[in-house]
Amino acid sequence: MRYPRSATARRARAAAFAAALLMLAIYAAPAAAGAEEGRAKAAACVACHGENGNSASPAFPSLSGQPKQFIVSSLFQFREGKRQNEVMSPMAAKLSNADMNDLAAWFSAQPALAPQHKTAPANVDKGRQLSVQNNCVACHAANLMGQQHIPRLAGQQKDYLRAQLASFKASTRGEMDGVMTSAAQALSVEDIDVLADYLAGLPVAAGAR
Amino acid sequence: MTGIFKITGITLAMGLASAALAQQAATPAAVPATAPAAAPAPSWKQGMAEGQASSPLHPFAPHMTGRPASELPIDKLKVPAGFKVEVWAEGVPEARSMTLGDKGTVFVSNRNLSNVYAIVDKDGKREVKTLLKGLNSPNGVVFDKGTLYVAERHRITRYDGIEGKLDSPPEAVVVIDNLDPNKQPGHFWKYMAMGPDGKLYFNIGSPQNITMPTYMEASIMRVDPKTGMIENYAQGVRNSVGMAFHPKTKQLWFTEHARDWISDDMPSDELNVVTKKGEHFGFPYCFQGDFLDPQYGKNRSCADFTPPKLNLGAHVAPLGMRFYTGKMFPAAYTNNVLIAQHGSWNRTVKQGYNVVRVSMDAKGNAKSEPFLEGFLTDDKADPPMWGRPVDVLQMRDGAVLVSDDYNGIIYRVSYKK
Repeated sequence: MRYPRSATARRARAAAFAAALLMLAIYAAPAAAGAEEGRAKAAACVACHGENGNSASPAFPSLSGQPKQFIVSSLFQFREGKRQNEVMSPMAAKLSNADMNDLAAWFSAQPALAPQHKTAPANVDKGRQLSVQNNCVACHAANLMGQQHIPRLAGQQKDYLRAQLASFKASTRGEMDGVMTSAAQALSVEDIDVLADYLAGLPVAAGAR
Repeated sequence: MTGIFKITGITLAMGLASAALAQQAATPAAVPATAPAAAPAPSWKQGMAEGQASSPLHPFAPHMTGRPASELPIDKLKVPAGFKVEVWAEGVPEARSMTLGDKGTVFVSNRNLSNVYAIVDKDGKREVKTLLKGLNSPNGVVFDKGTLYVAERHRITRYDGIEGKLDSPPEAVVVIDNLDPNKQPGHFWKYMAMGPDGKLYFNIGSPQNITMPTYMEASIMRVDPKTGMIENYAQGVRNSVGMAFHPKTKQLWFTEHARDWISDDMPSDELNVVTKKGEHFGFPYCFQGDFLDPQYGKNRSCADFTPPKLNLGAHVAPLGMRFYTGKMFPAAYTNNVLIAQHGSWNRTVKQGYNVVRVSMDAKGNAKSEPFLEGFLTDDKADPPMWGRPVDVLQMRDGAVLVSDDYNGIIYRVSYKK
């Protein structure tokens, strides 16, 4: 039997879904200025970043459920050459401030899907410990869902996370005030692998921001 | 995102952090003995006491592309009776310091971004031009006798006859260079003011939160734009990002940020007055006139340093200040100081995020009171505010502009009897 679930469970799921929709209606609405314009502009983004910004590729980051200010800041850094990537830099070069605001409004309002990635069992405790030791939660907020200009890490794509941490450690990743560059100095190559594996499998907390 | 939502977020963050700490404390053996050394702290984290490493307090970043006024609760802003506040210009990303040209152009600087804007009032509408691009944290701007001076991190430049060349600005002419020889992080963006002596006054802040500065750092310097001659004018100034000369006494008044990570209420940020060149204002030994630094103040006395004219409150981050000399506001405002307060972040319950008015009684004692408020909407939320005042500028008609770098908006405060 593929669906051994009881009617109660189905009802519970339906209720949860309805509640989630309601939450979205309440919380997404005020932040949605520009989101409709953003939907159209996002057509060029989804080839890499996935449908509604839920990336299906380990190398490309998910944008769904990211804080709006983080998306704007990142696009801005790419456009201004403060952050560089051979794919993203040319994409961002063409964007106006209004484009960035609209795109951010759209992607930040898209619900983040539960991660496909499963953290290796050995890395669950190790990763949690590393994230505590390095105070990730102090800036990346409750459940590592991000806030303001700081990204959501929970459920982000693993290879992307690893590449970011590695380039922070190498002091080649642009950022605003050097917090991550300095934080990454404490990480070994193995730590970075463990953290990326751990974070990529972390559940996405609905409405954690 | 609603306020309630944010409170939930921060409560969760704190709960999670303390749960995590408790867990860490309970299982010390599980932490590998070869755990790497702690990361070198960025400037704003430097000087944290033991036990503060997991603090959720953090500085706030501006919205890099600005936010439209239509999305903001502008109607929450409050001014005293008879005053009015309105949006004067928007779409000025990261609007920082302001200066006024002879022909009415308002020049606006950037700190994180790299532009200087020129705003022209045309038939009651404001046109925002990006005048200069690609500068190195050009936070300081001064207009004097037809020339725009710009203080970048590493140099001060001049643009002569600028108001006639807003669409094709001339090449920068260097007044002084090599002001940032170490290129380290730190309080090295500059505020700049023109002195009555024709010299440009500017800050070189402290490299970190609380460390021993070199002789060039934690100071207010001045440079003669005619000769390039530079002098140290005041010392022991952790960071000043606002200064102005008193209209009568011609003395330099400046705002100063005190160190972080002592406590919510200590030490206070300051409003200071320089009475003679070379005065020392206490950093890193003494703060707020009576508080010795736990580390650097051990063998010092606060009596060795010039005390503040007024303590403005802990972490309120006073930035731009101007003396009011216009005719529009009530006469009691004459020669009062208006100060834009950009903080606080290093405080669990936030305060500031306003413009205050500082007045003096007959004996010269200063007191401050709120003048423009309403940016701070929830003192326990993260972020607690929707806007951050940076600088104040008196216009020819006596109205006052207030810049907001968080949103890239400039407000106008006017008065009508």
